[in-house]
Amino acid sequence: MQFIGAGSLGVAGGVLYGESVQKDVELLIPQVVPPEDYSPGVASWYNTVCNQCSAGCGISVRIREGKAKKIEGNPVHPVSQGRLCARGQAGLNVLYNPDRIRSPLQNATSRESGSFTEISWDEALTTIGSRIGRLRIEGNASRVRLLTGSTRGGLDELFAQFMSLLGSDHYQQYDFTDPGALRAANRIAFGMDQLPHYDIKHADYLLSFGADYLATWLSPVHYSLAYGHLRQGRDGQRGRTVQIEPRMSLSGAAADEWIAARPGTEGLLALGLAHELLRAGSYTGSDRDEWASALQPYSPAMVAAETDVSVDTIVRIAREFAESTASLAIAGGATAAGTNAVASVVAVNALNYLAGNLNQPGGIFFNPDPAFSAAAGSRQVGMQGMLDLAEAMEAGDVEVLIVHDSNPVHALPENVRFRQAMENVPLVVALSSFHDETTDMADLILPTNTYLESWGDDVPDPGVGFPVASISQPVVAPLYDTLPVGDIVLALARRIGGELPIRMPWGTMEEFIKARWRDEYDGRTAGLEGQDFDAFWQASLEAGVWGQPGIVAGDPSMPSSAAMIAALANPVSEFAGDESDYPFVLHPYLTATFLDGRGANLPWLQELPDPMTSVVYGSWAELNPATAEDLGIREGDVLEVETPAGSVSVPALIFPALRPGVVAMPIGQGHTAYGRYARNRGANPMDLVSMQIDDRSGDLAWAATRARVRNTGERLQIIKTDGVTRTLGRQILGPKNDHA
Amino acid sequence: MKWGNDLSTFVEKFRQYLKPGYYDEFDYHWTMTIDLDRCTGCEACVVACQAENNLPIVGEKRYAQNREIKWIRIERYWEGEYPDVKMGFIPMLCQHCDAAPCEIACPVFATYHNQDGLNTQIYNRCIGTRTCAVYCPYEVRYFNWFTYTWDEPLEQQLNPDVTVREKGVMEKCTFCIQRIRLAKDNAKDDDRRRVRDGEVVPACVQSCPTEAMAFGDSNDPEAKVSKMMKNPRGYTVLEELNTTPSIVYLKKAHAES
Amino acid sequence: MFDHGQPSYAEVNKDILSVMLETGPRYWMLLGTTMSVAVIFFFMPWFYQLIVGVGAAGMSRNAYWGTYLSNFIFWIGLSHSGTLLSAILHITNSPWRKSVYRSAEAMTLFSLMTAALFVMVHLGRVWFVHWSFPIPNQMGLWPNFRSPLMFDVMAITTYLTASSIFIYMGSVPDFAAVRDASTGTRRRLYTIFSFGWRGTAREWHTLGWAYTFFAVFVIPLAVSVHSIVSWDFALSIVPGLHHTIFAPYFVCGAIYSGTAGIVTVMYCLRKFLNFERYIGQVHLDNLGKLLLALSLIWSYINMLELFSSWYGGSSFELEALKFKLTGFYAPLYWEMILFCAFVPLLMFFRKFRWSWNKMLLISILINIGMLTERFIIVATSQPRKFLPNAFGFYFPSWIEISITIGSFAIFATMFLIFIKWVPAISIYEVKETLKPLRRDA
Ligand code: SF4
Ligand code: SF4
Ligand code: SF4
Repeated sequence: MQFIGAGSLGVAGGVLYGESVQKDVELLIPQVVPPEDYSPGVASWYNTVCNQCSAGCGISVRIREGKAKKIEGNPVHPVSQGRLCARGQAGLNVLYNPDRIRSPLQNATSRESGSFTEISWDEALTTIGSRIGRLRIEGNASRVRLLTGSTRGGLDELFAQFMSLLGSDHYQQYDFTDPGALRAANRIAFGMDQLPHYDIKHADYLLSFGADYLATWLSPVHYSLAYGHLRQGRDGQRGRTVQIEPRMSLSGAAADEWIAARPGTEGLLALGLAHELLRAGSYTGSDRDEWASALQPYSPAMVAAETDVSVDTIVRIAREFAESTASLAIAGGATAAGTNAVASVVAVNALNYLAGNLNQPGGIFFNPDPAFSAAAGSRQVGMQGMLDLAEAMEAGDVEVLIVHDSNPVHALPENVRFRQAMENVPLVVALSSFHDETTDMADLILPTNTYLESWGDDVPDPGVGFPVASISQPVVAPLYDTLPVGDIVLALARRIGGELPIRMPWGTMEEFIKARWRDEYDGRTAGLEGQDFDAFWQASLEAGVWGQPGIVAGDPSMPSSAAMIAALANPVSEFAGDESDYPFVLHPYLTATFLDGRGANLPWLQELPDPMTSVVYGSWAELNPATAEDLGIREGDVLEVETPAGSVSVPALIFPALRPGVVAMPIGQGHTAYGRYARNRGANPMDLVSMQIDDRSGDLAWAATRARVRNTGERLQIIKTDGVTRTLGRQILGPKNDHA
Repeated sequence: MKWGNDLSTFVEKFRQYLKPGYYDEFDYHWTMTIDLDRCTGCEACVVACQAENNLPIVGEKRYAQNREIKWIRIERYWEGEYPDVKMGFIPMLCQHCDAAPCEIACPVFATYHNQDGLNTQIYNRCIGTRTCAVYCPYEVRYFNWFTYTWDEPLEQQLNPDVTVREKGVMEKCTFCIQRIRLAKDNAKDDDRRRVRDGEVVPACVQSCPTEAMAFGDSNDPEAKVSKMMKNPRGYTVLEELNTTPSIVYLKKAHAES
Repeated sequence: MFDHGQPSYAEVNKDILSVMLETGPRYWMLLGTTMSVAVIFFFMPWFYQLIVGVGAAGMSRNAYWGTYLSNFIFWIGLSHSGTLLSAILHITNSPWRKSVYRSAEAMTLFSLMTAALFVMVHLGRVWFVHWSFPIPNQMGLWPNFRSPLMFDVMAITTYLTASSIFIYMGSVPDFAAVRDASTGTRRRLYTIFSFGWRGTAREWHTLGWAYTFFAVFVIPLAVSVHSIVSWDFALSIVPGLHHTIFAPYFVCGAIYSGTAGIVTVMYCLRKFLNFERYIGQVHLDNLGKLLLALSLIWSYINMLELFSSWYGGSSFELEALKFKLTGFYAPLYWEMILFCAFVPLLMFFRKFRWSWNKMLLISILINIGMLTERFIIVATSQPRKFLPNAFGFYFPSWIEISITIGSFAIFATMFLIFIKWVPAISIYEVKETLKPLRRDA
């Protein structure tokens, strides 16, 4: 058994991840805070964890003269393997963002005014501590609510302890990008909450239902690496990918085949494929008959009529899927955001089940018990939870609302009225580094260190097939009068008093993390022989990650198909709005640059051309060229996109790979706050999304709204780098006539 | 005879003059391969280059005027019409042409070929005639139309190994020459004559999440790039111009159906 | 030869020198106007551009060369004819040259200087412009002699030097005439200018010999200068610029626009300086014929250029051609064809050749056409090179437009100063053309 971080890193890494180790390992110096006696002119690299999305990539930060210069992937981290996406690299813009909050702030006048005055940490913490302390003594602790984004690992544990010691069970998380439908469907299909490990790397036929796995889905860097391997990593064998989605995403562009099924029917298509797969006789399991009867209605002809995908295509894809030695079907994006989201994902899971892709190379692997037995994502409450919270706030049931790393005011559809609900909360506390829309509504802002200045740990979710845990460490000294979130929680615990300071005795987050790792170390014996905790800790810190590659999930028994079959019935997603009034389907999508909008305040990302359209600085609405021509719309015409939920005005962009009858809009812009780079730029498609919830996951069906567009006659320049996007017969993408 | 000597020196000089960068052969021949079958157009490389090479944040207004500076950019090309529409991405950066059209353009030798086969740009020497950029068929040269500044404290990120450019100078991809320098220094410190394969990794190559890019010395037949270059999918962009680029692209493969 | 009767030697002296020696308020007003236009339209925007950077102009990554460079070519073009024409006509002994050549040569000089100014305006870091000269330095750094821009520097400095010497040499006897006609400081100054010219036979002989030598020397130089300037473009591989025809095309265009320029200048001299007696119908007629011939050659070469683009069959060239003929700037292109290829055909008719006003109009139209020609060259080819994804667009900013306007004022200013310092018409050569001396002179 090999430990990453134990012994020689280079060797361990080399054994584990082969080609991914490139960096001079001597440069990895574990330090809490860069030492005073650094050698000028010599760079050192510190390993920590990326916090720009919830994939949990390991990163190495290059430090010179105490300043962070560059972020690269951590070569020994199994998720990122030395690579990193654009968002991860732009983490330096988070650290050195000119709009960071530099000291604790108190709302000067009204909530709306957005003007704040500086106060001292002591004052701020005392105010909050005494208020919560009083509630605790009065037995009203449940009037304290804590809302975070997708906090994981030690910080999540700390928050959880804090809230439970306080006596409030209202610690909840909301992250728009959290794959709630996927979790719910996996619970039904496989009986597990954790996301499985999708082994795209070894697949040779990847069927993706709306999952933009190369840019926004779950773990983009990991899957990009896998994709590279799928394509060209094996001699003489090139994996194929097929993408099913109404608007071509980055993964769609990479795919061999892009199929724009009718929006909301992707799950049905999966059932049609399953039907065909079964009919062709490639599934021979004992429950064949149950499947056959459940899938009976989904004949290719019927599915073809509903999905607008030809019978031939359905039959062919089903055959290819069945015949491939390592096929894999995944679902995400709009497929997992209809009113039938969970059913659709279950249907996709069924495909995997029927093609025998479970626990097979190139298929789906179940992760073994994670290093720290926290069920990731279990605190995600989805839209239903947020509605409940808003309702509670509206009803005056919430006296203290603590928000961290979550921006519901921007991320939730307008009609949740979260902003208005916040008015009813006497004390809103924001733990935040930036003035985002939610933070600006707070009474007290406690400025936090960024992730590059904080201690923490993380268990990546989805995992990589074996237990892995990463450590975050501060790579630079805090720039301003800010505190790590963990330290704020601990300090609050001390102010609140009672049981809290006794049960949470750690002075700082660092101590807490170390104690936590000591517990974990004590709880594990296998593979740790002959290594004391200090050596283990030191090695893990150096590597930024610890893992046990040999360990796989114990007894991955085949899940029973009954639950899956029961959950199959897959009504087509229902759309808000009447087709005659609203002829278009609104397709909001996550962008590779901003994700759900958290990256919008980073200048490097604002200046990064959107990968599919090359647009920078702003948002737009995409139309199919034929549709646009019919409506007489040219690029740059300002459109009013209207849905039953609201309307926004954005310039039109003609996008060739979009299903007619769909209007696509990128998520991420449209901030009314959030610093100079993000403020008042573009529109937020969330304002257009009707409140429809998939009951089975409680998540928002954000791709189930109809829309209409109207040309306002105004014009707005779309800033983009593309000139002409056709090769004009020039052989730029390679010589024509050979298909090597 | 003296005159004869002079003449032969002259002839000799003239011959040298005809060679790219006046070199008989390059010490190293830094070469990059980019596999378009792996490249997904994710633009991680674009940000990596921006971080490594102190590329300015130009702002919305300048961007609208096409004054952005991105040493590596991704070009997009559509093929076909809906529903049979395909998108091709191609990362475009300085090709470090051996017969570089840009090099003859510069009146002051601000751009020249170095002994490693790199097309280098000397910011200090540049007087801003912009001829090189007009001559470059790949349009990968970027000009500092203004002196760009960084909003405090973003400037703390600037890489001390790379010059911050001022208004009026041309700039472009250097193949991360600072990293090449470092690797050479390290090799020298280790008493090695040559840099090992894989020791120099430019920022863009390093970041690429699909491992689409490879970089190395094509003078070394064992190097990864040398092997990649032999791939039958290999081609160079605008081959007909005979600029002999140092970047070999591997054409996107097609699924056999 | 003289429309209003032959003047006497004294009258010649008086007529021509009076321009220099008597300065009315109209002159000062004119000079004041041109100077302020030059400052406001040229120097102030330039100063602004120096402070903020060349980004003040409309160039971008789609077109790194813009109006500044096209104006540079235009002014270099205008500079042709002057010296070239003067030299050719001197060698071929055409008598009608004599009253024209001084101002034509001055035009050469001043448009070269204006052109040089545009190089400065164009540069990103003009404060280092001296690096483009082969100045010995401790770094052992030399300019790049392979660069067409380096050729330019060489060619233009040589041409400028040669033209200055040429014009100066031809003016020495006239400086002596000014010296003799003036007193005080002016006299002392012109004593120096005239190098102590006394008009001895030996002096005349030496002057004649040297002048002819320079005339011969200047002709190939002038041809080479514009060929070299054309290589700035033609040596690039940009579609639409990479044409072997560019050198003759540019030279021909240059002489063409230069000759048209001379007509304009002559008109002004005649009109405002009352040189009617010296600049007559003969000159106009001859220049008209020359212009006509040039326009035909120009049209021919232009057709050749289109033909070779099309015949070459390279997709890049065809695309560039298509854009030029039908793209955004097509109206400008057709305007150029109209002004430079069709309008001059009117000069087949004596009625046009003999009318000063009509000729003025034609000459100005030709130069507008030539100005657009240069603009089209930079504006249509660069933004659409090889990679369609990098295609773009170029449109000049107000700064560029203003500097373009200002440059004409600079030219005019220099000319206005010139006529006060140097006899605008060669006194002694005009005298040579007079009928044999009459006693009373
Ligand atoms: S990082 Fe790699 S995959 Fe992404 S755009 Fe660049 S070359 Fe392509
Ligand atoms: S790609 Fe352009 S800038 Fe780079 S060497 Fe070639 S011609 Fe020069
Ligand atoms: S090699 Fe270096 S300088 Fe060139 S594009 Fe890549 S990161 Fe930028």
